Parts: sequence; C-alpha cells; structure tokens
Amino acid sequence: MTEAAQAEAEKIGAIMVVGGGVSGMQAALDLANSGFYVHLVERSGAIGGTMAQLDKTFPTNDCSMCIIAPKLVECGRHPNIKILTLAKILDVEGQEGNFTVRVKEYPRWVDPDKCIACGQCADQCPQAVEDRFNGDLAQRKAIYIKYPQAVPLKYQIDPDACLWLNNPGQCGLCARICPADAVNFADREQKQTIQVGAIIMAPGFQPFDPGTSQAWGFGRYPNVITSLQFERLLAPTGPTGGVVTRPSDGRPVRKIAFLQCVGSRDKNRCNNEYCSSVCCMAAIKEAMIAKEQLDQVEITIFHSDMRTHGKDFERFFIQAKVEYDINFVRTKIHGVEPQGNKGNLRLHYVNQQGKQVDQLVDLVILSVGLETPDSTLGLAERMGIHITPDRFASISAFMPVSSSKKGIFTCGAFNGPRDIPQSVIGGSAAAASASQLLAPARHTRTQASCTPHEVPQKANSPRTGVFICHCGSNIAGVVDVDELAAYAATLPDVIHVEQNPFTCAQDTQDYITQQIREKQLNRIVIAACTPQTHEPLFRRTLRAAGINEHLIEMANIRNQNAWVHKNEPARATIKAKDLIRMAVAKIAIQEPLYPLRIPVIPSALIIGGGVSGMTAALNLAGQGFKVDLVEKSTTLGGNALHLYQTWSGEHVPRYLKELQQQISQEPRVAIHFNTTVVASSGQAGHFKTTLRAGNGRKKSVDHGATIITTGGKRYIPSEFGYGQIPNVVASIEFDKLHMHNEIRVTQGKSFVFIQCVGSRNEKRPYCSKSCCTHSIQSAIKLKQEAPERRIYILYREIRTYGQRERIYNQARELGIIFINYELKGPPIIGEEGGRLLVSSRDHVLHRPLEIEADMVILATATLADPGSAELAKLFKLPLNQDGFFQEAHAKLRPVEFNTDGVFVAGLAHYPKPVEESISQALAAASKATTLLARESVELDAITAHVDPEFCDGCGICLEVCPYQAITLLATIDEQGEEHKIIEIDPALCKGCGICQGACPKRGVYITGFSYEQLLAQIDAALEPPKP
Amino acid sequence: MVYEVKVNELAEEFGVHRNTIRNWINSGTLPAQEGPGRRYLIQAEDYHRLCDKFGRKPKAFPAAQAINAPAQEQPTPQAPPVPIRLSLSSIHLFPDPALADCCVTCGSCAGACPIAGVDDLDPRKIIRMALLGLEEEILASDWPWKCTLCGRCEESCPANVKILELMRSIRGQRDRAKVPHPIQKGVTTCLEKGNNLGIPKDDFLQLVKGLGTELGETICPGFTTPVDVRGARLLVTVNSKEPFVQPRQLMWWWRIFYAAQESWTLSSENWEGVNWGFYSGDDSSMKTIVERIVDNMERLNCQALLLPECGHAYYATRYGLEKWFPESARKFKIYSIFDLLLEYLTAGRINLDPTIHNKLTTLHDSCNYGRKSLKAFGHGYFSEGRTIVQACCTKFREMIPNSGDSYCCGAGGGAWASPYAAERVFHGREKARQIKASGAKLVVTSCHNCKDQIAHSLAPEFNLEIEVKSLWELVAQALVPAS
Repeated sequence: MTEAAQAEAEKIGAIMVVGGGVSGMQAALDLANSGFYVHLVERSGAIGGTMAQLDKTFPTNDCSMCIIAPKLVECGRHPNIKILTLAKILDVEGQEGNFTVRVKEYPRWVDPDKCIACGQCADQCPQAVEDRFNGDLAQRKAIYIKYPQAVPLKYQIDPDACLWLNNPGQCGLCARICPADAVNFADREQKQTIQVGAIIMAPGFQPFDPGTSQAWGFGRYPNVITSLQFERLLAPTGPTGGVVTRPSDGRPVRKIAFLQCVGSRDKNRCNNEYCSSVCCMAAIKEAMIAKEQLDQVEITIFHSDMRTHGKDFERFFIQAKVEYDINFVRTKIHGVEPQGNKGNLRLHYVNQQGKQVDQLVDLVILSVGLETPDSTLGLAERMGIHITPDRFASISAFMPVSSSKKGIFTCGAFNGPRDIPQSVIGGSAAAASASQLLAPARHTRTQASCTPHEVPQKANSPRTGVFICHCGSNIAGVVDVDELAAYAATLPDVIHVEQNPFTCAQDTQDYITQQIREKQLNRIVIAACTPQTHEPLFRRTLRAAGINEHLIEMANIRNQNAWVHKNEPARATIKAKDLIRMAVAKIAIQEPLYPLRIPVIPSALIIGGGVSGMTAALNLAGQGFKVDLVEKSTTLGGNALHLYQTWSGEHVPRYLKELQQQISQEPRVAIHFNTTVVASSGQAGHFKTTLRAGNGRKKSVDHGATIITTGGKRYIPSEFGYGQIPNVVASIEFDKLHMHNEIRVTQGKSFVFIQCVGSRNEKRPYCSKSCCTHSIQSAIKLKQEAPERRIYILYREIRTYGQRERIYNQARELGIIFINYELKGPPIIGEEGGRLLVSSRDHVLHRPLEIEADMVILATATLADPGSAELAKLFKLPLNQDGFFQEAHAKLRPVEFNTDGVFVAGLAHYPKPVEESISQALAAASKATTLLARESVELDAITAHVDPEFCDGCGICLEVCPYQAITLLATIDEQGEEHKIIEIDPALCKGCGICQGACPKRGVYITGFSYEQLLAQIDAALEPPKP
Repeated sequence: MVYEVKVNELAEEFGVHRNTIRNWINSGTLPAQEGPGRRYLIQAEDYHRLCDKFGRKPKAFPAAQAINAPAQEQPTPQAPPVPIRLSLSSIHLFPDPALADCCVTCGSCAGACPIAGVDDLDPRKIIRMALLGLEEEILASDWPWKCTLCGRCEESCPANVKILELMRSIRGQRDRAKVPHPIQKGVTTCLEKGNNLGIPKDDFLQLVKGLGTELGETICPGFTTPVDVRGARLLVTVNSKEPFVQPRQLMWWWRIFYAAQESWTLSSENWEGVNWGFYSGDDSSMKTIVERIVDNMERLNCQALLLPECGHAYYATRYGLEKWFPESARKFKIYSIFDLLLEYLTAGRINLDPTIHNKLTTLHDSCNYGRKSLKAFGHGYFSEGRTIVQACCTKFREMIPNSGDSYCCGAGGGAWASPYAAERVFHGREKARQIKASGAKLVVTSCHNCKDQIAHSLAPEFNLEIEVKSLWELVAQALVPAS
C-alpha cells in the first residue's frame, strides 16, 4: 500500500464540531445526515448559542426560538450526533484525517441520565444569582437549565453560586428533594480522548462589554442596556414576558435611542477596528418590534453608516423609515449622561444639518459589537490556527471555511462577524469540506436510526390526543389556554389533552412519545404553529412512538389566530376552539399512509460554470459523485473573469486558472459548454433534465440533485453621462483599463468614484454589496501607484462590512477623500476646459463642491440574470421581487428551495463577493450530499389517488396538473365497453391538490385530504360551539 | 420683524443661565430693548444671528409674539454660496494623516464638544476644512482659538484623529500679528522679561521674601522663602498671575512645604511656570520657555520639578521636556501636584484633618491633568485628587460625568486670557450645570485657570452659591501641626 493510500485508509469517519450555536449545529446535522459520526462539543450546559437568546430574526422578523427549536431537537435526538456539554478542548494532535482530541468535561453535578427536568430542585434552591442567559436582567437559581427549550434539557449546578459546593454540608436541598435522585455532588471533571478525522471550529463570539468605558454609562445607569439585553426584554420568554419597560423603575418607555458601533469600528475606546456586520440590522429589527409593541414610542437610531447589505435588508431599512416612522440620524453619539435622578438620559449631538441637539430619552440601547473571546484565541493558538489582526480565524477568500491548519475547518462568527444566514451557510460549507476530506470513510462510524416498528392501528377506533402549545406567551398571552384545554377534552374521540409551554421542545417530544404509548393514542392533534416548519418534527415523534407518522394534524392557533387577533383575546379563544375542533374531526378519519421509496441517482446537475458552479462541482466530485456542469458560454469562470482581487488582496485570475485546471482534470465532472437547460422532470433523488447544446442537439441527463449557480449580470447605467462622456466608465471597465495601464489611467491625476449607481434606488431597492469594497480597492491601488493623485469617493453609505473596514481605514489614511451624497441629490457631471467637473455637496461643511476629475468611475449594480425567470419556471422555483432566486428560508434553509433536491448558490441568489459565493456553493454541495449519500429517498405519501368509482376520464385534471403527473388510460371491461380513467405517477405527483379542486366528479383526491376529511372539517367549522 | 421674548425662554433655548442672556444683552452681544412686562424686544435678524453664532436651530417661539409683523417679509436674497473647488492645486495642509485624513466624519467629536455650533463650526468641520485644504478660511477662523483644547473630542474619536494637535497646528500657522493679543503679548513678554506679566526681578524677590518673613513670624516659625538654593531637592515654579494679583495665595504651598519639611527652592530668574507658547501654537517659544526650566534645574542642581500653578503648565512643560529634552525628562523627576501631595500624605509627612471642611465638596477634574495626561503620558490623575480631597473634607460628591469624561471649565487653552468671553461662558454652562446638579457648596480645582473661571465667571453668571478652592489651599487649611 502506498503512503497516500494508507492515509486514505486510516481516515476516520467521525468529526468533532466545536461550538453548539446555529453554525455548529448546522455542520453537525449536515455531516450526520451524510454518513458521518459527529461529536458536538459545547462549552455551556446546552446547545443553541446566541440565536437561542434572540427574540426575532431579521429580515423576516420571525421568532428566533421557533425556527431554531427544530434544529435543536434534531441535534438532540440524532443517532449520529453525540453532544458533549460543559466541555472544552484541551489539545489536538495528529493531522488531517486522523486527529486525537483531548476533551475536558466539567462536572454538571446532575446526572443527565437520571434528570427528568421536573424543576423541583430549582423551585426549592435558596440561592438566586443573575441569569446570564437573560442578560443579567433576571435571576436564576444555583441549580438551573440554561433556557426552557434547552437541549439537552438537563439541570446543572452553578459551582460559583451553589451553597453546598462552596461549603459542603451547608444546603443540599436539591439532592434531598430530587425525585430521580439525579443530583450528584461527587461529580468530578473528566477527560477523554476522541479520535476524529476532521475538526470544525464554530466557537462563536462574545458581545463587546460596554462597561469597559464609562462614556456609555453602561453598568451605572440602569436604563442603558445592550442590544442583547434588549432582545431578552422583547422576548416573550424573557424576564418581563416580552413587555418593554424601563429597567430602572418599570415605567413605560416613551423614547428609545439606539447607539450603533459600540465596540465596533473604534480604534480608541476599544481595539475593534472592524465592523460587526449585524448590528445595524439587529437595531432596525429591535426598533420595529418595540414600535409594534409600544404604539407611541419614539425611536431614533444613531449610526455612522447603516449597513443593510444583505438580501432584502435594504427593503427592511426602508420599511423601518417609511412604515414604522423610526428616525435614523447619521451621527455617532459620544456618550450618555443622566438627566436628573429619575432615570432619564441625555444625549447631546450635532445633527445632519450641523446644529446642536439635546435629546432626552428613557432607554438607551447600545448596539454592541461581536468579538472573539480570549479563550477561543487561546484554543486557536494551541491548535495552530492563524488569527487575523482583528482576532478572527484567518481564512483565504478562496477557501472560506478552511483554517490555516489542514483538516481543521471554521465557520460562524469565528470567521469574522456575520449574521445567521451566513453562519448557517458557513456551517454547511464546513460540513461539505470535511465531508470531501473524509469521503472514503463515509458510513464507517455511523449507526442506522432504529425506529420502532409501527404498531398496526385498529381501524375505526380513534383515540385522539390533543397537545396545546403555549409557545411562551406567543399563544398563551392571547388565547385562554386553560379554557381551550378544557374544551378540547369534550370533543369526540379525545382521550387525552395536554398543555406544553413549548410543544416543539425536545423534552416534550419524549413526553408525547410516552403519552402515545401509555394512553394508546392513535391520532394526534398539535395545536401550535404552522405545519410548514414544524410538522416534520412531530411526524418523527410519531414514528418514534411507533405509530404512523401521518396520523397527525396541526391546528395553527398561533400564526392564524394568536398573532393576527392579538387585540381580541376572547374571540381568538373561540377561533382556537374552532380550529382544534376541525382538526380533531379531520384526523379522526385519517388513514395511515406509507411513502414510496425511490433509488437516488448519485450525481448532480450544476447549472452555471462560474466560481460557485465550479466550487460545488469539485466538492461533489471529490466526494465521489458524478457531476454534469452546464455552462451557456464557451468558458468557465463567469463573472469572476472580470475580477482582479478579493477584498483581502488575493489574486482572482490565478485562482480561476487553478479551478479551471482542476475541473478539467476531474474525471467525475462532465462539462457541457455552450449548453442550456430546456426541460426537467422528476424529483429529489431522481431528476431527468434535457440539455440543448449550441448546435441544437438535445440530450438528457439523469441526476439526483440540482444546483443553480447561474450568476448575475452587471447594470449598464443610463445616468451620469455614461456612454456619452468617454471618461465616465463603469468599475469593471475601469479595472480592465487599469490592469492594462491605459493612458487615461496612467496619466490621470484625479479620479472620482460614484457609488450606488443603479443600486438602492426606487427601481432596485437593494444593495449590491461588493461595490464599496471594490471601489475602495481600486482607489487604494491608484493612490499607492502615485500618491499625488487626488481620489474622491462619492458614497451614500460605506458598506465595508466585517473586516473589510480595514481597507476603508487604509484608504482614508492614504488621503482618499470620502464625500457623502443623498439619493435625492446625486452628483452632477459637467465638463470644463476638457476636464470633467463633478458637482456635489460636502456633507460636513454643508457647502457645494466642485471636483476637477480626469475620470469618473461608476460603481454599478449587480442585477439578476434575466435567464433566471425561465429556469425558475422549469424547476418551479420562486424568484424575489428583484429577480433573484428566493431560498426556502432566509435563516434555516439559505441554499434550499421548497422544491426538494434543488439548491442555489452565488449571484443567482443575491449579489455577493467571491468568498461568500464559494461558501454558499460549498453549502449547496453539502445539502446535495445529504441527499446523494442516501441509497433511496422516501417520496411524500401525500399524493393524488384516483377513485375509479367516480372518475369518468373527462381529463380536466390533465390540463391543470403542473407536474404532468396524470395520464389518461383507456380500459375495455368485460362487456367490451371502453372506460376512460386517469392514472397518477406517484413519483411525479407533489400532492398539490389542484386536480382535486378541478375534478367535477370526486374522481380524484389527495391522501390526507379526502373529501370525507374535508367535509368533516367543514362540518366541524360550521357546528355551533358548545357554550 | 421683532420678537417679544422672555429671558428665561432664551436661556432655556440656548442652554445657558438667565444671567448670561442678560449679560449678552448688556454687553451688546444680543442687541435688545426692554419691552413691556419684563420682556425684551429683539429684531428677528439679531435673534437669527445669535442662533447662527451658537449653531442652534432657530426656534419659533410659541409664547412669543411677533410685533409689527409685515404680512409677508421677503427673505433677503442671499448669493448662492461659492462652491469649494477641489483641484490638483488644492493644498494638503497637514501631511500626518492622523490630523485629518483618517476622519470618518461620524460626528462624535462634534457631539462631545461643548462649543460645537459656535460660529457654525465644530471640530468635525475644522478637520474637514483641513482635509479639503481650505487654508485661508481655517487660519482666518477664530474657532480654533475659542476651542479650549479640552480634548473631549479626541477622547471620543473612534479613528484616533489627533484633533488637539490639529488645533494647535492651525493656531501655530496663523500670522503672529493676528494671534489674540493677550496671548501673544504673554508669550513675547515672557521671552523678553522671563515671565508673562513682566514682573521685574527685584520686585519679585522683595515680594517673596516679604511674604516669607510674614509666614515665619506667624504660622510657620522659622520659615524663610528659599530662592536659588543650590542643591535643594525640589524646584518650584510660579504662575506670574499669583505674585501680580493674589500674592498671598503663594503661601498655601509654602505652608505645605514647611509642614512636610521639604527641601525646595524658587528661582530668582525665569521662574515662570506657565507656557503660553503652547496656546499660541508657537513651538519655538514653547521650547525656549521649557529650556529655561531645564537650565534652572541644572543651575540649581535640583532633582525634582514641581509646576504647582496650573494644569497646562504641568502638561505643556512635561510635553515639551519629553519632546525636546528627553534626557532631562529622564533625569529629573517631574511631579504633578497630585504626586507630591499624595507622597506627603502616604509617607506621613503631612497630617490632615477633614473636619475643617464640612460643606458638601466636589472635585473638578482638570483636562490637562486628567484626560490629556492620560492620552499623552499614559496616566491621568483622577483617583489621586479624590484621595487627597477626601482626606480634607467630610462630605464628598462626584459630578457626573467626571474623570476622563469631565467637562472643561470653559477657560482652558488660553480662553481665560482671550477676548472671547461670551463663548467662554457659553462653554462653561455645562460645568455650571454639573456643579449645580451635584449640590456641592465647595468646588475644589487643581488648576488656577479652572478656579478663576468657576469662581469669577461661572458662579456669578449662573448664580452658583459656591466657594471655590485650589487643591493646595484645601490641603494647607486642613494641615494638622505635627504633634
């Protein structure tokens, strides 16, 4: 055996993920779902990370806990994920493919195998301390769970607070009353050694501590709080039950000020030169939620630049200004002072007109930045991972999840400050990279899930269990849940009714399983939220309990009731009763359904041969899957062909060349140049797609997964005299001129860059994300070549998010002058004596400016590819208002669609820089891998069925079916008469129900939505409620 | 148009005291005539001029009445402002990018500056003018001279722009003939005569000897004033204002030295401690004045230096020593008053009785000893002053904010001597507000300038019923004779 082959053979099919936040969880889940065993190491007592603390998430403002809970539960019960809590890495030895990691587990002092999380210990514990999870705004006991939905839901003892641990024999109340005898004061820390093939670092961040400078008054004035504390005040599960009042005296809040960039973009009061990327959006979100709750509240966000650069962020920003009447003032507040002794706070600033303003507020929210904790930096040093000057993991833009040490991957905020979608994408991307490294060892360490055999249900004897979710106060705050529970118990066939604070929490799943077994329930109604996000979770619970997973009905008493009728609690309670009654009626006649299994074709079709497409192709091929890469032009490279360098100065053309070379040498990738996609059918695991080559010849490709990486297009400006004045050029053209030392550039002495050309306007209310960075880089290069050059950048907001802020700082140090302009007053380009004259206004001096310029460079927008619409139709995918592909969920499923088996990455999704495209491409590859690594997929059992008694073959349904799943058959019966009847291909049918709606004769129905069930539901709806 | 206004309303609007408004009216800063019912009549344009001067947005008075208002007054058409031309010949005034280029225009400095808006300018605008090369305007502007160099702007600047250095540099580039007269006169007199006020050597010696004799005959038996004592441990400089105006104030320190049995001396020549070259931005004069102190140290063979007068004397001298005479700076120990007093206190060389002072006391942080020393020398004197004050009084309360975020008294940077009295008082409104909010009846300062401004300007302008003492006066009065 050669050395290389030996190393391949010794690779270990297990991975350690360090950090149980959303990024780490995503990496763990992707890997566990594609044939690897995962050790998920979490420093605290429960996974969930920062996201568990958030109230809502931008830009959709959906409940953070609600969307993270399914992931928490999935991690908690995945047979191939082992969670180690209260654990930290001591050291790492070995090399990629085979690491030995020493892990220290701190004592929990509660035996997790025994603890039933009944909470009696915490009720009795006499010692209360500040609750870190709630931002120290509330107290918890010395024995506690981190938060109500914690995974694992096991109590732990805080050794600093516990009386016994500090003075044995002194208290011990918890140990005495614990019914499970789980408290173990003899618990000791343990060390263990774990063998893994790769390590994924997702240790996350810590919020900046504003108490380090007294200027903000944090820690001195109770009404100065951090943005993270405010999340807890807004959260229904928080210390005030989601009611915002002044922390000093509990009085109503009338005026709120958000101070941005506290602990970010500051070299003076802290050493955090970078932009924390997320705080602008977080502040807008918090302001909106506060405004929804407190009608009269006046909110001002004080900022330096609003950085709303992500997908749909700019619309969110506009909405905040226009619909929510939130004030945005472009100034940094130097400090906070008290006004009087009643808790009021005074801000003094100079407004955009240059005038002095004193503003009194009663709540100041410090939008604190993100930083890497010292403990993480220490660990990184021990592991040999390089760190950037901003103290994040050092990564190449071309390998955005690979640390400087082979076999150790990084994701989440450790790679630089980033939001949830970027963290989720990073988690998947790291999983893809680890999966590629360890592909030979796939399925060597995993265990198959052991679902109990389904207990056959006796027909016609429904025993229904109703589980009513409080969803914190989301539901219970509006609906009278006790009355609802009492009512549900009176409904036919209802054997058991239960109320849960969070029905989606992991302990509730175990509890439901137990109730199903004990009470022999065979129909389950979950009165909670939407089946769209949560039904898969409950179905698995039913499976675990040994009953058919389709014997469940969800009554959406949150979205469709508590949320929309929050001002009419009495009527909302009545409506909740209606919804439950209907669900109970419908589920009673539900039959068990069984899915169809189809084999998976282990190959992928990737549409678009840019950087994203090539990255995904190489990753999948490296994992052993076959790839068909379709490129409409004759070269690979896409938009990156026009790029010169990444923000960190890495050379793009060289990288592209390497990619092209690798891909041409990769036998598993078939490249189809000059080719487009013309038709596609099938479903996840089993697609058949027709390609058309340039010569018109068609061929068809079978594949299990599809990845769309069709890229974007650049905007051709009609403004600023582009196309008419020769020295007004677009940035990409300028790069070319610059690269080729064109005379206008080499002899030019004065250059003016104009930002946001075609972006952030009425027609395209989105930010093109990479142009600020791009222009600043060009400007720096010009200035470095000849320092006497005059360079001006006319901008609306400089959006050098994350560690890019460094180049913005560098540009100013080099003497590049930045001038702000507003959408309503764009610069005007004129000519004077053969030179260009750019007129604008100075935003500081409030005086008109005239700039003599040799060249004007327009930073033009990135547009959606016009071909996207066609492709979207082919694969039945949605586009957003701007023509970009709309992912299934901005946070949870950032590279997926509701159509399974199709994924998106790169500019097709939204404008972004190269490293984010690569990251997203890897994430798409990871998602494809979870599908392709399986032998077969189960098709949804909810499909259309023909009722031969009623179908007369009229064929109306054939025309309406969007999936071409229906065909017409003609049969001859014994009497020799011809009968027409339809036939449905269960593999093609998506169960959408259009045929059922169109059928005039009840000849076709969808399982789970039969006519009887719908009628039962309607009857129940119309039935007058009992008094 | 004429507005009928009340003094209270204007005071509230401008954030100053009623007396300040009255003083403006009396001095003609705000032309007004007395109207009916304790109201004043002011011309709309005078009001708007005042708003412009202090950078305030003009407010329509709901309570005020416009009298004789013509139906529709046409605003006088203003010529459109001349655009700033940015061309290749635009000058780059300051080669160090940290003086202007680094600015991110966030506005933090302007918000922190108590006189932002005065003359429609603020630190950010000055930085911007420097960046855009508006040389003539920036040198012609009085704003950098109205600035007290208090450093609140710099303390809050996230980009670490050296705003104070910029202001000094602008001051330094102005034609010397256009430097505010009292400042320039102080510098030239000091260079010619050895002290800012030109006190002749004989007069000075007669005065200090006489005071010494008086002290020796009364409180400090055996005391004589040490002048030119070679080999004394400590050289002590003098602020010429003291012998000139309040010579008896000199004795506070002498009493402390006596109690601590200090070996110290005055110099008969070039005894001035203050250094207005620092204010005028004139490095060469500043250096000469520092050099004279170095010469005195060498001539008298002293080991340590105390600049007891004033925050700026300490700051400017130490700054100059470190910049131009680094060897001397290493050789001599440079005491701040805090270092020395605390040394006496902890070594038990002086004993203090706090019950001497029973009024509620607060401490005003000098910008030079505090915020600016922290930035320039790595240590700000915050806690030391508090330890000393609390050893001398029974009731102490902080002003908010304090220490590094403290407000300037309004008279720093040469403002006490400069002709911009209205701006100086306007600046001091913040300090006055702080003092009032603290409820303190005794304000302790560690700097002459601050003391003068608070006692002689802010107290009458803002009706502050307070007593103001220097730190050394406080200590001297609390001295307990060694048993």
